[in-house]
Amino acid sequence: MKQSKGMIVAFLAPAVVAFLMMFLYPVTRTVIMSFFQVESVTAKTDAWQFAGFNNYVELWNSVTFRAAMKNIMLIWLIGGIVVLSLSLLFAVVLNSGIRGKSFFRALVYMPNIISAVALATMWKQFVFVNANYGLMKGIWKTLGMGNVNWLGTDMIFWAMLIAFCFGAVGYYMLIFLSGIDRIPADLFEAATIDGANKPRQFVHITMPLLMGTLKTNLTFWSISTITFFVWSKMFSPLNTDLTTVTPMVYMYDITFGTQGNVQRSAGGGAAVGVIMALMILLIFMAVNALIRDDGIEY
Amino acid sequence: MKKNVQPVSLKREAKLLPGYLIMLLWLVFTVVLLGWIFAASLSTTREINMGKVLGFESGLHFENYAAAWSSYNVSVYFMNSFIYATCSLAFIILISAPASYVLSRFSFPGNKLIRSCFIIAMSIPLIMVILPVFGLTTQLRLNGSRVTLIILYTFLNIPFTTTFLMNFFSSLSRTYEEAAAIDGCTPTKTFWLVMLPLAQPGIVTVGIFLFLSVWNEYFMALIFATSDRLRSVGPGLYMMVDTMTRTGKLGGLFASVIIVFLPTFVIYLFLSEKIIAGVTGGGIKG
Repeated sequence: MKQSKGMIVAFLAPAVVAFLMMFLYPVTRTVIMSFFQVESVTAKTDAWQFAGFNNYVELWNSVTFRAAMKNIMLIWLIGGIVVLSLSLLFAVVLNSGIRGKSFFRALVYMPNIISAVALATMWKQFVFVNANYGLMKGIWKTLGMGNVNWLGTDMIFWAMLIAFCFGAVGYYMLIFLSGIDRIPADLFEAATIDGANKPRQFVHITMPLLMGTLKTNLTFWSISTITFFVWSKMFSPLNTDLTTVTPMVYMYDITFGTQGNVQRSAGGGAAVGVIMALMILLIFMAVNALIRDDGIEY
Repeated sequence: MKKNVQPVSLKREAKLLPGYLIMLLWLVFTVVLLGWIFAASLSTTREINMGKVLGFESGLHFENYAAAWSSYNVSVYFMNSFIYATCSLAFIILISAPASYVLSRFSFPGNKLIRSCFIIAMSIPLIMVILPVFGLTTQLRLNGSRVTLIILYTFLNIPFTTTFLMNFFSSLSRTYEEAAAIDGCTPTKTFWLVMLPLAQPGIVTVGIFLFLSVWNEYFMALIFATSDRLRSVGPGLYMMVDTMTRTGKLGGLFASVIIVFLPTFVIYLFLSEKIIAGVTGGGIKG
């Protein structure tokens, strides 16, 4: 086929420009900015003052930022375990041959298409505020948590995490499902003929062949939790609170913040961004080193 | 497995019972959650506070909806979300489809580099780009108009969409282009008249997905749509919920949640298969 240079350039240029303007330029500038003392986001570069690692040191000394880091790690770890195991469970159940597979699949994914603000309000009001009445009271009592004040300081973080996990499961379930779909059916048939039961098939066939999918899911999970924002806003009382603050909320407060009690620092906000990006990179490298899916051919 | 209806075999179904139970539990919870919110949206604040939502003792209070609709600019929020979603969707496809066609069809120096750049861009968190982007739009005096958000949503989604559509273009047979070339069609014309229409299933899939994600987007809308005139449904609903919680108008609060929930829910009822295909088709190596 004939290739025309002009066409290649014309077709690619807008997309490449978008990449340069929306990703390469901002990322570079954010990294540089994190080493400068910059008060306002809109400050001209002449007003920047080199500050070395000062912004990072200040973040480290900030009680709020340390709380935010602790929260985001808990969300990543505990939420990750809950969401990924639930979504794997659902994927396996849906693939076990039950009726109504596509209905249940659509049902579990549904929270993902609802505005997070709406979903968070529903959960907050029905499951937690309403916890003393009717059906929810019964459920919490059965679970032995009848007297828990979910929106109090002790529990609000967990209330937020539970509600967030409910909405997140569907997405990861879909990706696990597509991973399971790609495993050839004859592997299971052969195992059945050889007398392996379902649990054994899961451990020896499904799990090893799902490692690549697990890797994808872990990466997506990390990227999406790092930018945890709306849910924290929805579950915070009037102002940012130590119990629910996340790095993204902290960044928003110190750069765009409207509250008078926060010292404005765009340089500090940039440093938060760099730390988050480094965490994603670190997780990505760890996942690649720990989970190996090469060498299996099917 | 094809969708052939299996004869009911009790033994077989009994084995699947735990699976059915798990799914039914989830179904019941979701229905009760939505049902309660809907019932609450038709109740008075007093009934909600007393936990008597399903009784409707004082009748159905549709005025909650009227109050939520008229005391806030819900229709403006809807219109804005619609404008943001449709305009950026059109631009995304217009920019991404040609790029992804060229990347999947032609070999030229830099092809691999551009692909890798797009894949890396998909994993760059928003927090890493938002500050300079805000600085840039301020400098260009773009803030305070809808154009800003449309451009940003467009640019932000190009790496994902381009990568997504590459699968579709590379699965199309080259015979179409050869036939078009014999008939004297230039490569550029071939793309717009022959290849783009052929990629339509992929474009529709990714399009619905993009539409919903822009419609529900919160963080960028919060930063760039600061006036009431520009606000989209995410931050708009946040404001409504916030005020109504403070003023204790719980009925109106739930009514506004339902108002925002319904349009996406209706879209989902009709297009769930397409939307699900949009999730599993992108970003996953096959």
